[in-house]
Amino acid sequence: MINNQVTQTAFPIILCILAVFLFCCLIRAIRGPKIADRLMSVNMMGTIVMVMICILALYLNEGYLVDVALVYAMISFLAVVLITKLYMGIYAERKKEEEMMKEDLFMQDYMERSEFSDITDDTEE
Amino acid sequence: MFEWIRLILGLVLLAISLFIFASEIIGIFKMKYVLNRMHAAAMGDTLGLLCALLGLMFISGLNFTTLKMVLVLVFLWITSPVSGHLISRMETYTNDSLTHYLKKEELGELYVKEALYDANESSGGSEAENDKSEEDEK
Repeated sequence: MINNQVTQTAFPIILCILAVFLFCCLIRAIRGPKIADRLMSVNMMGTIVMVMICILALYLNEGYLVDVALVYAMISFLAVVLITKLYMGIYAERKKEEEMMKEDLFMQDYMERSEFSDITDDTEE
Repeated sequence: MFEWIRLILGLVLLAISLFIFASEIIGIFKMKYVLNRMHAAAMGDTLGLLCALLGLMFISGLNFTTLKMVLVLVFLWITSPVSGHLISRMETYTNDSLTHYLKKEELGELYVKEALYDANESSGGSEAENDKSEEDEK
């Protein structure tokens, strides 16, 4: 690792630019109309943070900060897998409930109509 | 002398990775549909990580820190496309108004068994659901 003057002045500039990118991703997370938008931007924020941690590891001359980046990558991957599976399950359950409710309404309607037709047949004859 | 070459190469690669991240962020703001934005994010992430970590490896030299960065890069190249695919699959599964701008083709009898919820697990087997496999843009 180098304690050069060039790197000591260049790294803070790069870190500031990456921080601006982080803020832009957060805007996308707030604005995005769908859930996939928000999940994707949180994933991107994790990747940018990982690059920032690796740059910090060289800026402060501490080699063990790269381990933190590795653990962060694992946790963010786990989070994405969990949230997608959870949301797909919730959506499927909601659809199944809607279909069952539609069937109930259909049966009720059918029963009412059959009773009504019976009554009209009797009175006409 | 070699140190200067290493340093300049590393800084150039870091600047290229900044440009790639910038174009990725422009991409997720300019695109109109979710799947396009997902495409921009996945591509930009992969290439940006490569250039940034490669530049940092050049600056650091032959070190143990460099080996750890190689490990981070390999792990991210394996898991980041998987998470991108999972998010896109969730989007096509839960979006009801997808046929307004996409033309869907179903591949014949391609049924994918997905145990997404435990609805009929007691009756002996998971339900087979038709997966919307192939989509083309209009």
